[in-house]
Amino acid sequence: MALLRIALINIVRRRLRTSLTLCGIAVGIAAFVALVGFSKSFEREWLRLYESEGTDLAVVQKTFLNTTVDETVGERIRSLPAVADVSPIVLNLMDLTPEVNALAYGLAEDSYEIAPLHFLEGRRFHANQPEVILGEILAGNLGKKAGDMMEIQGASFRVVGVFRGGSALETGAVMMPIRQLQKLADLSGKVTAFHVRLRPPKAGETAEQHIGRARAAIEQAVPGLKAVPAADRAHNNQFVSFARSIAWGTSLIALLVGALGIANTMAMAVFERTREIGILRALGWRRWRVMALIQLEAAALGLIGGVLGLGGGWGALRLLASLPMTANIAVGSISAAHAGEALAIAFVTGLAAGALPAWRAARLSPVEALRHD
Amino acid sequence: MTEGPLLEVRALKKEYDEGRIQALRGVDLQIGQGELVTVSGPSGSGKSTLLQLLGGLDEPSSGEVLYRGASLAGSFDLDAYRSRRVGFIFQAFYLLPALRVLDNVQIPMFEDRCGARERRQRAEALLEEVGMTHRLRQYPNELSAGERQRVAIARGLANDPEILLGDEPTGNLDSENSAKIMALLCGVQSQRNMTIVVVTHEAEVARMGHRNIHLKDGRVVAG
Repeated sequence: MALLRIALINIVRRRLRTSLTLCGIAVGIAAFVALVGFSKSFEREWLRLYESEGTDLAVVQKTFLNTTVDETVGERIRSLPAVADVSPIVLNLMDLTPEVNALAYGLAEDSYEIAPLHFLEGRRFHANQPEVILGEILAGNLGKKAGDMMEIQGASFRVVGVFRGGSALETGAVMMPIRQLQKLADLSGKVTAFHVRLRPPKAGETAEQHIGRARAAIEQAVPGLKAVPAADRAHNNQFVSFARSIAWGTSLIALLVGALGIANTMAMAVFERTREIGILRALGWRRWRVMALIQLEAAALGLIGGVLGLGGGWGALRLLASLPMTANIAVGSISAAHAGEALAIAFVTGLAAGALPAWRAARLSPVEALRHD
Repeated sequence: MTEGPLLEVRALKKEYDEGRIQALRGVDLQIGQGELVTVSGPSGSGKSTLLQLLGGLDEPSSGEVLYRGASLAGSFDLDAYRSRRVGFIFQAFYLLPALRVLDNVQIPMFEDRCGARERRQRAEALLEEVGMTHRLRQYPNELSAGERQRVAIARGLANDPEILLGDEPTGNLDSENSAKIMALLCGVQSQRNMTIVVVTHEAEVARMGHRNIHLKDGRVVAG
């Protein structure tokens, strides 16, 4: 008989309380798996977006609060020898109908970022015209096809094309001439960022050296702005940061509730089993072994709750992946790393929640504990 | 094995409630290797307190308990003493209700560095010794009082102790089972040359020891 077996027997003997405790921690882990998983999917789609467009760098404001850049600096970036192409972009999140909102991209008609799109119908938009092209998922959600009219924030636009993009952030998006989006968003003369495509590296130059050199040249040419590698931009842009903060914040609150449940269960268990702990101490169990038993029970609760939560979170992600509003971003699967992260958090949460009850159990005097009713 | 007493008690006092209750008021005694000693006396005479102090479950207010000449106070490792030198039997059996008989007997063996298989084999042998082979897989609440005390004795012997301390081991048993349990303890003592100290308020049980120590109001009045 191993210590773990005694711990599991103790967990099973209070079925109702154990079930409720497991529910608490499982909800916390499910929230973590689903929300953080969703935010990771979001982040992954941003990376795919940059990769499919061939963007190497994004030039943005250094400061967090000022999020727009004067569009005239684009020419200075374009004139640099390392730069092959520059695409000014305005990015916004817009309500297209009361039920459907979407990312809106304002791009130049000849932007290199439009070239990789595969048009399922129609054509690309013309500069300055009230025309939009829709990603296929968004078009499906809106029930629009090429030639239809649609209204965006009080202005009428003609849908001139439907496309399939390399990223869900494109296939669920609307794209329009940059001037039109500047007008809609009241951002005349401003852009969100410049996406930059670099020339191939010089012979003998590594990709890191190449990108580092280009970043330095750009930041010298346009003081006050920073050139961020596409992967970093995918990881740290405001949409992703916001989604990640919400996901972690909500998950942590749910995990805290789960941890309190475990702490309460273990505190109750120590109180109810005071005499049993006294027996163990009387029979020669050292303090650390009593502590290890209580910690094992708490960690096992955390881990079992974690496995249940993993299942729940996976179910929630599959649901998100099947809903029209989120299907373009959510992936209905969990990576091994994310699953491992969730189980590790569950395990550590259990250990942390059990620490104080375990410490209290270990401090019990054998004779006092034996007298306990 | 040893020239001096196995256990020695010197001027032992134990007070509770900031001195308002004096359970032991200066007890001196010696217990030799292989003795079966009974400690008797009326309720409140300090019998159980003495046993707890002998077993290292509690610390005296003053005086000392010596095991092979070494005081149990100060830096003495009481956990090791309880896990290797002493076995306990309690009036209320104190078996762990969630564990089967076989598992209960293995509890004291956790501090030994033996594997699960060895623990199990030793537990089976002990349960055979106390006549409980047929109840290995039962839970304590499925046993009679006499059977529970047999299991408790097997558990008390699990770490192969030098000293077995019984706190009213027959207190919850009828006379027939009391006699059987005492016969079992006498048999264990003679087979193993073990030192056994049994606290009891039953005169018949008290007479079964090699020596009886009688306590009254926290003092030794006979023995």
